Amino acid sequence: MSVLEFLANGLVFSSIIVLSSIGLSLVYSIADFANFAHGDTMTVGAYAALVTFGFVGALGGEVLGLPLGFFVALAVGVGVAAVVAVVTHKLVYEPLDVDSIGLLITSIGVAFVYRAVIQLGFGTGFIEFEITLLRPIEALLPYGIRMTLHDVAIVVSAAVLVAGLHTLLQYTDLGRKMRATADNPSLARVSGIRTGRIELWTWIIGAGLAGAGGVFLGLYNNISPRMGFNILLVVFAAVILGGIGSVYGAMAGGFLIGMINQLTPLLPRLGQELPLIPESFGIPIGIEYANAIAFLIMVAVLLLRPSGIAGEEAT
Amino acid sequence: MSVAVRERFGGLTRAEQGAVGFVVLLAALLFLGLLTGGLAPTYFLYLVGLVGMYVLLSFGLNVQWGYTGLINFSVAAFFGLGAYGTALLTAGNSPLGVEGSRLLGIIPLTIIGLLVAIVLAVVVAVAIGIPTLRLRADYLAIASLGLAEVVRLVFLNQRDWTNGSAGLRGIPGFFDGWPVLETFPEAMPGLRVEALELSIPGVFSTEILGFTLGTPFWQALLNVAFVLVLVGIVFAVLRRAHRSPWGRVMRTIRSDEDLAEALGKDTYAFKMQAFVLGSVIMALAGVFYAHLNLFVSPGDLEPINTFYVWIAVILGGSGSNRGAMFGGFVVIAIREGTRFLGELLPGALPTAGIPFTDLVVSFPTVIETTYTTVVNNFASTRLLAVGLLIVLVMRFRPQGMLPPQRELIWPRSVAESAGPGETNPRETIEEEATATAHAADASAGVGDDGQTAGDATDAEPAGDDSTPDASGPDDGTADGSEDAPDEGGGRNE
Repeated sequence: MSVLEFLANGLVFSSIIVLSSIGLSLVYSIADFANFAHGDTMTVGAYAALVTFGFVGALGGEVLGLPLGFFVALAVGVGVAAVVAVVTHKLVYEPLDVDSIGLLITSIGVAFVYRAVIQLGFGTGFIEFEITLLRPIEALLPYGIRMTLHDVAIVVSAAVLVAGLHTLLQYTDLGRKMRATADNPSLARVSGIRTGRIELWTWIIGAGLAGAGGVFLGLYNNISPRMGFNILLVVFAAVILGGIGSVYGAMAGGFLIGMINQLTPLLPRLGQELPLIPESFGIPIGIEYANAIAFLIMVAVLLLRPSGIAGEEAT
Repeated sequence: MSVAVRERFGGLTRAEQGAVGFVVLLAALLFLGLLTGGLAPTYFLYLVGLVGMYVLLSFGLNVQWGYTGLINFSVAAFFGLGAYGTALLTAGNSPLGVEGSRLLGIIPLTIIGLLVAIVLAVVVAVAIGIPTLRLRADYLAIASLGLAEVVRLVFLNQRDWTNGSAGLRGIPGFFDGWPVLETFPEAMPGLRVEALELSIPGVFSTEILGFTLGTPFWQALLNVAFVLVLVGIVFAVLRRAHRSPWGRVMRTIRSDEDLAEALGKDTYAFKMQAFVLGSVIMALAGVFYAHLNLFVSPGDLEPINTFYVWIAVILGGSGSNRGAMFGGFVVIAIREGTRFLGELLPGALPTAGIPFTDLVVSFPTVIETTYTTVVNNFASTRLLAVGLLIVLVMRFRPQGMLPPQRELIWPRSVAESAGPGETNPRETIEEEATATAHAADASAGVGDDGQTAGDATDAEPAGDDSTPDASGPDDGTADGSEDAPDEGGGRNE
């Protein structure tokens, strides 16, 4: 496989990580705790889309190699993830009288409940969307890139969502209020912002993006009850690398971590791929440790620069 | 029930009564299973061993989270290190195994395995602790979960060392190679417990008992004895440590780390000590597990195992060792209860005929298919129970069922300060001897422990220093810290 192909894979995987890490970062900064249920929110979105797709999969039309029904399913997945998160917020987190560590521990319980309910309904096995696999795009093959239209769809959709979020945060009233609340909740309250409502919107947006990430992850690999929890630590690594509380940092962190994750196979033959380095140079590590690398980067960032790439200033 | 027992029971708080009731009920259920033959004696002892294992793990986590406030999400990793530490040395198919059951023909290999496990746990704990213990609490949680995953990936993927996902088989019992104890199970006579027939004529008749206690039974008994010894030693050490000046510094760090720093404590060093101590205890549980189960695989390092232990600790009451014991029982109840229920439920909903008519009532198809899917995936209810329990405990009783109260105080101090109206000298269960005298007037005023605790600890005898930090300058910590951590036992005041 060529370096370009790894980069292409990295781009697709990064898109998924970026979507999930934005949500995690938003909740981290506004609800003020590390939400361990975020990964399983992704799983919820994926399964909701899977079920919907079973009903509307036949809807005609085709965009980027995907039937229109898939985008309906995507919307439902996003919606269900958001609703589940809001209900959880109202039922579980809001009545709690504990500090942020207590919330963190509670969110693990919430994660287990999500996953257990999914497993009770669908079993523990792997499922895939019933979409025929496409052949790689011919035009890219000469460059050594094997990329299907589905991959392009993931990247484009993620880009659209990220652009939408950017617009929301920078140019709308809600976005300004969210940034104010993330920055200084008390000051925001004093200024007349209803922070409770902002928090609710944070859950909706964060969980919605997570749901989208889950659907795309399901399309990219496959769907299983463990998918969200398995990727959660990678997403945390992205958020911490980007700087907790910073949405744009989370985007950068997600992009970097996703890339590194997919470029792991290159590490043992680094010398052959890069100029100016002896041929024999390489870091002997197998792809099975791709996630481990992300964790180690995360620990290193926490030690050396706990504020992450984006530094102190939030959003 | 004798009067003394009833009096003691009346002297407990509601929560304590509930906990005692739960344990008694569980024991009764198990005993019933034993009597009716539904539960083989060997399996019963295996369960007791597992309870002991979870108690050990909870003790370990209690040192880290309960005493010091370190959020360690890598319990399963240290448990796995302990299990693999001894298994790699002794297992039949281990790539790094040693032949025979004794080293140099003298020392039993399992002892070496135990030491290897401890050393491994210490080394990894220090290695993980150096980068993570300086971090904020929530960062520590994330980082420790990540590092636990790294440990699991290493055991899963380094096939040439660990045999990969196939796991390690043929692990000998812990007492293999020991003098006397090695042959104990074979040497004991097989006991045949004759079946008894219980019957009410014409109504029902059933057979109870009726099993043979052979070598496996004695082997299991030996395992239980082993875990009891481990639990006993660890409990004694922890109780001593927790009440010592060292324990007071720990509690200070937990409630206010800046305060501890301001009082001149090297909090990093203290946290490292607690982290290593807790990890070694978890590794001990792993060693026991390897020699109980005789098989270990990377599956034992799954994160869910970490959260079983978390359930045990936060449900029992963070910082409370008897709470940890209670939690151990609950975890086994969840694990075995869901398994039992799953076997009990029929695979499909029965259709019931209404008597004297030809009508057959059947459920709508939706309910029927849902039921069938749920029953088929019933193992997942375990996860559901763990999750719900975490949420419910945090919602309704964040301090846990049995928060530490009297545990932190020297029994003698309690007895001395036992004036009318100012204290209630109810003791923890394990401190029977000094407590029974005052148990009667305990039911009133359970809530005002914080004040009592402060007073009582001030009256502590001076010569009880088990750690070098106990001398003069420490008095400041002792006085300054007592009020905060003891107020309600919960972290979230």
